[in-house]
Amino acid sequence: MATGHATTVIGSSSFVRGRVTGSGDVEIAGRVEGDVTCSGDVLVDAGGLVAANISARRIVIRGAVKGDLTAEDAVILEAGARVVGDLRAPRIAIAQGGLVRGHVQTGAAGAARPRAASAAASRATPSNERVAAKSVARVELAPAKKQAPAPAARAASSGNNHAETRERPKAATRVGPPPPVVPVLKKGTKAVAHHKKR
Amino acid sequence: MASTVIGAGITIEGEVTSDEDVVVQGTLRGKLVAKDAVTVEHGGVVEADITSGPVSVAGSVTGNISSNDRVDLQNGAKVVGNVKATRITIADGAQFKGNVDMDV
Repeated sequence: MATGHATTVIGSSSFVRGRVTGSGDVEIAGRVEGDVTCSGDVLVDAGGLVAANISARRIVIRGAVKGDLTAEDAVILEAGARVVGDLRAPRIAIAQGGLVRGHVQTGAAGAARPRAASAAASRATPSNERVAAKSVARVELAPAKKQAPAPAARAASSGNNHAETRERPKAATRVGPPPPVVPVLKKGTKAVAHHKKR
Repeated sequence: MASTVIGAGITIEGEVTSDEDVVVQGTLRGKLVAKDAVTVEHGGVVEADITSGPVSVAGSVTGNISSNDRVDLQNGAKVVGNVKATRITIADGAQFKGNVDMDV
């Protein structure tokens, strides 16, 4: 009561088996088996023993936790902390003397985040390459058209990989001789012609 | 402050076992076993059987209360369930529905 009405305390000789949810801060000095989800701060004190996932705004651990920690703000493991489980929060601090076994990931909280991040990363690199390829390809192709429609010359000028990727975006990572350029060009010209007719 | 507090806004669904005082300002569903005093403050909601030492209720309790000491139902308390205790007080303004069992 002295610590404020919004603070929940699980005392050192208390044992909670079940879910703890709601708003406000939670301080655990005893044992909890069951998920802890709250909108405030969660403090697992030295001597606290939690066998559950913890999800909160800010999580400070000085005791033992077996479960995943997910915080909207920060996860802080202080000296004496023992955590077996994954940590996920925008900011994660592990002090000297803190033990962790599990996956640690900084970044926005949420289960979907890691997949989205990796997907974005995998997307970002090729698109950048493609942009670069486009700019290169335009430079290369412009003179090629002017020079001559001879397939040999085309092949020579578009020997550059970038030019090929520009023409055939599906086979972006094609390595090898560029002869297939000729039929591809035919396709392109046909398609353009059709469009113009219609 | 060596006690367990279930703060306002917090809901515990499950079993709480304690060797020390338990103060309920929030919501507890399940079971509450304490060796020492249990206090359900105004606004606190307990939907559970309580087995403990002295019990003081100013909030709402739905469930049986079994105490090896006294049970005090204070003004504003709302208790639905049987009460078993050595001593019991029901203050003016307390709502109570259930049986009383005192060791005679």
